[in-house]
Amino acid sequence: MSRWRQSVVEIQTRKRQVNECERAQAALSKVTACFQQMATSLGSNMDGSFLREELEETRTVAHKICSGLHRRLLSLLIEMEQGQEDKEQVERLWVMILSSLENFQRDLKKVKVLQEIFPLTQRKDRQALINAGYAGGTSEVAARAAMVQTPWLSVEETASPDLKNHIVEIDVLLEEMFQRVNVPLWSVEPTQEAWVEGVSTQDGGQEEDESLEDIMEVEVVSQNSTSGCCNHHNCKVGCLLCLLS
Amino acid sequence: MTIRSDRDHGQRYRPRMSCLKKLEATVVQMQDPSTGVKGTDQKLNITTIPHVITGQDIVAWITKNVNIDNDEAQAFGTMLVAFGYIYPLQDHKKLVLRPDGSLYRFQTPYFWPVQKWKAEDTDYAIYLAKRNIRKKGVLHAYEQEEYNKLHKWMNHKWDFIVMQAKEQYQFQSLSKADRVVFDCQERAYWIVHRPPPQTHSAMDYGLDRHIDRNAEEKKTYDYYRRIIIYTQQAVMRSRVKSSVSLGALAKYITTFKNHDPFLVPCLPSNPWHTDDNSYWELNAPDVEIPTKMSVERWSFSFYELLNDPRGRADFKIFLKKEFSGENLAFWEAAEELKWGTAASMSEKAEQIFKTFLAPGAPRWINIDGRTMGLTVKGLEHPHRYVLDAAQTHIFMLMKKDTFYRYLKSPVYKEIQKKAISPAPHNFSEAQLQQNMRNRRPSINPIITWQKEQEEKAKAAAAAGPVDIKKLMASKLDRK
Repeated sequence: MSRWRQSVVEIQTRKRQVNECERAQAALSKVTACFQQMATSLGSNMDGSFLREELEETRTVAHKICSGLHRRLLSLLIEMEQGQEDKEQVERLWVMILSSLENFQRDLKKVKVLQEIFPLTQRKDRQALINAGYAGGTSEVAARAAMVQTPWLSVEETASPDLKNHIVEIDVLLEEMFQRVNVPLWSVEPTQEAWVEGVSTQDGGQEEDESLEDIMEVEVVSQNSTSGCCNHHNCKVGCLLCLLS
Repeated sequence: MTIRSDRDHGQRYRPRMSCLKKLEATVVQMQDPSTGVKGTDQKLNITTIPHVITGQDIVAWITKNVNIDNDEAQAFGTMLVAFGYIYPLQDHKKLVLRPDGSLYRFQTPYFWPVQKWKAEDTDYAIYLAKRNIRKKGVLHAYEQEEYNKLHKWMNHKWDFIVMQAKEQYQFQSLSKADRVVFDCQERAYWIVHRPPPQTHSAMDYGLDRHIDRNAEEKKTYDYYRRIIIYTQQAVMRSRVKSSVSLGALAKYITTFKNHDPFLVPCLPSNPWHTDDNSYWELNAPDVEIPTKMSVERWSFSFYELLNDPRGRADFKIFLKKEFSGENLAFWEAAEELKWGTAASMSEKAEQIFKTFLAPGAPRWINIDGRTMGLTVKGLEHPHRYVLDAAQTHIFMLMKKDTFYRYLKSPVYKEIQKKAISPAPHNFSEAQLQQNMRNRRPSINPIITWQKEQEEKAKAAAAAGPVDIKKLMASKLDRK
């Protein structure tokens, strides 16, 4: 019966906060996807100080969204009472933010290692970059990331940490989240069903995708009849670990 | 969600992947624009994609720079492809380096296999969802299975996965060529880390380990204590002169060198190579006529004779003729006690005592007084190894005395004459293929076990206390 005691104002504020969190979650998703896309070109011939700066900027944006979202969602969950209407929605958001944070942290760790392997401090380091076949630039991706705005109405001043500390900070965040809120994660039901995303299509992307698939399928070189991995006539094993050669 | 706690004693360190660091150094050298493998452009319908290399160029470069010969260079190149540092553009499912004009490309370092982190299932789920979006529900069969599995297992994360997949799919702003390159890279990465069924994967390393082999172990009190105990025990071990131990090793090698299937091809043919079961059939435990190789092996040592079931049966026949079967029977009974179930142990021990050890028992064994005393006392509280001293004594008795008599006996000589030496097979390629197709599973182990039980029952009935009087009576009768 407690929900009847809440005033209309309270219900409205709560709804607004939940919507804010959802928008922030979508924004975080976008930013992390951009971050990953840029991280894949680290160490390749498209790498450069420009790419690294853009990575830094994207990371700062992500950090801002993360910390704000974390704080708000935490307060929402703590003051949540039993039988609240948006309990499911808030819990779902909770699971999503946990997963995105973990995903993002994995990418951060990879980026840190890659930046150590391919330092760009000297001229000759550029020779070590792998020619992976990229030709264009990632400036569009970075622009996309920069377009994402934090949906907070109030501006908060938090210092964004450097890469190593960011990873550690996410660890701390996750630990805190697990300890302070006890929501059983497996009880959350997703809204999306399996295989649904493949059915809904957009018109513009269709022809492009088909030709993309054709491009990727380079014609297969006609194989000779031996189906083994080496030239030994007894080899029928299709792997590289056969002992016959 | 991943379980995160310091007390998580799950095993998560991957062993034997330290070769990856070394491969990375080679790959960096390989792609150097001036001294590396020469790359060309790949011409596709609409665009050209740079940095494409051919298989033969790779092999040639490896041969020259790593200074090995051609076959090894090809194997090395195949390892590079199998680990995912280079991926093939044609026939992307088969991760083999072909030393001809087939095309390859370097994989971007983000997708390199790293020892520390496995390819995560969440990422795989996102990739499958993306592929689903792109191909509109038409995935390979094994991909569909994996999708369903992941959906069931990661159900609570599914919203996140679909959202991420849609976001990542939206990168239409990249140029066409780059999108193709990125998609090829991602696909190659997942073929390495989630191989299609019935293919071999180079990332197959067995179980994860509890301890990280790469990390330095912290020198705590426990560590030092462990090291001290270890070195103390090492110092206390008894020492043997190397001339003695090497002499024993040399003797072993000269004796057994013709019986090692790695050094000398086994007759008629190695079933693992030719898919022909005759070798196993000829050496089965219940075969009538053993092979010459087995018979020769029995003469090497008493242990070999006892271990080979056919040899043991032969020895039993010999002992029956000599009326001294109780030693072997006792030895076998002791073995059964050692390896048997815990429930039947007291019952077996009692039976053994009644049959073999009690004064005036029907099959009384002749062991010295001290051992007998120890064994009888131990049998009051029987455990698995209570007959160990007596068993060893009997074993040495049989070995020093009966074994040599056996080797000189007519039983053994007859078996030596009868033993067959199968001719080596010489299968042609077509016959090998046929053998491979005709592979059948062998006898059900349940049937083998049943047969063994039957034999044992028969033997137990036949080896009941041999009534000497009746036997002599029957012999006298005939006279």
